[in-house]
Amino acid sequence: MVLNKNRIFDLLVYTVSFLFFTALILLLSGIFFQTSLNLFLKELKDAKLWNSIFLSFKISFIVILINLALGIPIAYILSFKKSKISFLLDLISTMPLTTSPLVIGFAVLITMGPLNPVGKFLIGRGIKFVFTPQGIVLVQLIISFPFFVNIVKTSFDSINRKMLDLSKTLGASSFDILLKVILPLSSNGIIAGLAMSWSRSIGEYAATQMVSGVIPKITETAPIEVFVKTSYGNYPAAITIAGILMLLSLFSLGIFKYFNYKIKTNN
Amino acid sequence: MKLLEVKNVYKNFPGKKVLNGIDIDIETGGISSIFGYSGEGKSTLLKIICGIIKQDSGEVILNEKNINGLEPYERRTALVMDEPLLFPHMNVLENIAFGLKLNLNKKRYINSNNNDGKMLNSPKEIMELLGITGLEKRYPGEISMGQAQRVSLARALIVNPEIILMDEPFSNLDIISKTKVRKLIKDVNRELKISILLVTHDIEDVVNLSDKMFILNNGKIQDSGHPKEVLKKPSSIDTAFLLGTENILNGIILEMDRHNNTIKIKVKDRKGDNEAGVVIEADFQENFETGEHVFLAVRPEEVIILREDRDVTKPVRENRFSGKIISSIFTSRMMEVSIKLERDPELKVLIPFHAYEVMNLAEGKTVNISLKKSSVHLIKKKKNVKGQVSVF
Repeated sequence: MVLNKNRIFDLLVYTVSFLFFTALILLLSGIFFQTSLNLFLKELKDAKLWNSIFLSFKISFIVILINLALGIPIAYILSFKKSKISFLLDLISTMPLTTSPLVIGFAVLITMGPLNPVGKFLIGRGIKFVFTPQGIVLVQLIISFPFFVNIVKTSFDSINRKMLDLSKTLGASSFDILLKVILPLSSNGIIAGLAMSWSRSIGEYAATQMVSGVIPKITETAPIEVFVKTSYGNYPAAITIAGILMLLSLFSLGIFKYFNYKIKTNN
Repeated sequence: MKLLEVKNVYKNFPGKKVLNGIDIDIETGGISSIFGYSGEGKSTLLKIICGIIKQDSGEVILNEKNINGLEPYERRTALVMDEPLLFPHMNVLENIAFGLKLNLNKKRYINSNNNDGKMLNSPKEIMELLGITGLEKRYPGEISMGQAQRVSLARALIVNPEIILMDEPFSNLDIISKTKVRKLIKDVNRELKISILLVTHDIEDVVNLSDKMFILNNGKIQDSGHPKEVLKKPSSIDTAFLLGTENILNGIILEMDRHNNTIKIKVKDRKGDNEAGVVIEADFQENFETGEHVFLAVRPEEVIILREDRDVTKPVRENRFSGKIISSIFTSRMMEVSIKLERDPELKVLIPFHAYEVMNLAEGKTVNISLKKSSVHLIKKKKNVKGQVSVF
């Protein structure tokens, strides 16, 4: 085999990628080598573990439902009602994506605290967001909805505008067009968006920690449980939950990638 | 009865004036067309009629009802565009039936049943009429462009709109599909008695299909009428240029003779010399006067090349000249022959291939030609007309 420039190029990109992937897999799967299957199965019988995982599931499920209800109108505005303030709207709704989750959690903690007028007003009416599950729903919503909105918006953007204009003249109102044309055509984007925001929500730690107060069974989500167990030195339990979280995210990422790929091949 | 009236419509886009006071009126049941170059705002006008774009000022009246304030879905003006734009997630039948499943159309259907008129057509009937039966289960990606365009037409027809607006419906079709779809549109117009307004930049579409044409140029309707009339007798030099009238001569009226139905015009030669040119006779036309400078338009297919071996019949005695063939070009349908008359000017002539061969024509040959009096059309000269100077 002659080493010409193209071959050297291929060799380089393959080597770099291979080394990186190997390192990443070793790093992530490291936790599985630290434990034994027996220990892993024994930990699975722990009720506290399942409490935290079920709580995470419950909260993330509520979060994606709210995402669905809020995200579709927001994505609609961002994609179909472009105006001079669209850029600003886009900026604000995407901001949580780049802000540190800790800062977002901190902001919610302060705003919903008794010293802030908003918090005071809500607490006075019995609505508490600090150290409660609804507080966790709130911060996870803020953190996960940009993922949903952006993916759905991209999917809306790819719909032919002339086709929508034309369907108006056939007697279709905006409702008809949303239900019969836009949503069916972006079902892949919506599923991909849900998978992505769900996996963001179920794995969220920093912001959640700020408002959770770590109350067992009530606000102790799975990622928090990992941290708590680690700080007690109970590594087998921490490893088990971490392992489950990792498999879950692999699964939801698979869903996202599959449907995201379908969006691209459809258009 | 007037079906659609557009009154004094203005539309500007940022930095660009598009429509500058458009007036259009269309009768029920016919095919009308708006002709103009690309970028003249033809599509914008259609979008204003169906409500996708709002005009800056002016009115759109459909069936004597002002529809300015109505949303597109309330207007009953269905649009067919240059692309089929079928819904990719529906098969052909679902695409066609799209309009039937909308609440608004269902309501209209019920209301019309209470009266008597047939409101909605069945998908089956329409598919038969358009020759797309058998494609029901196919998806848009699995049918040809011509078929897709017919499905698009069917989808518009099924909601039984008061008028169908077509935006360059043939521009993406190959020549065979084009001919087919043109014929279909004629059939549809006849069978379903549906009015059609067509926008096109192809004069063939206009002449082939429509019974009324509007010429849109510089944001205004410049000329309108039956296509044959407009084509033969353009009212201004701009229209003549737009329609591709090739033989436009400069002349001065020598004599007006209403009694003998004749106007004599002296044609200037290429240098603009009045004395050198030939004298051409035309049928008498109103509103001209002796000594007036005018344009003469003669369509190239109306110039007759005389056969040497035949006696001259009466009509071809008119305006006989002799000239030399300076070039002859094959076009897709005809021979385009340029003939230079002895004392100027140069004329373009279109004749069929077989005639060219039978007459043994060739470049350099001297021939006799005749212009029928009725084929010479006079156009008034206006001040500051674009292109006037460049004619000769």
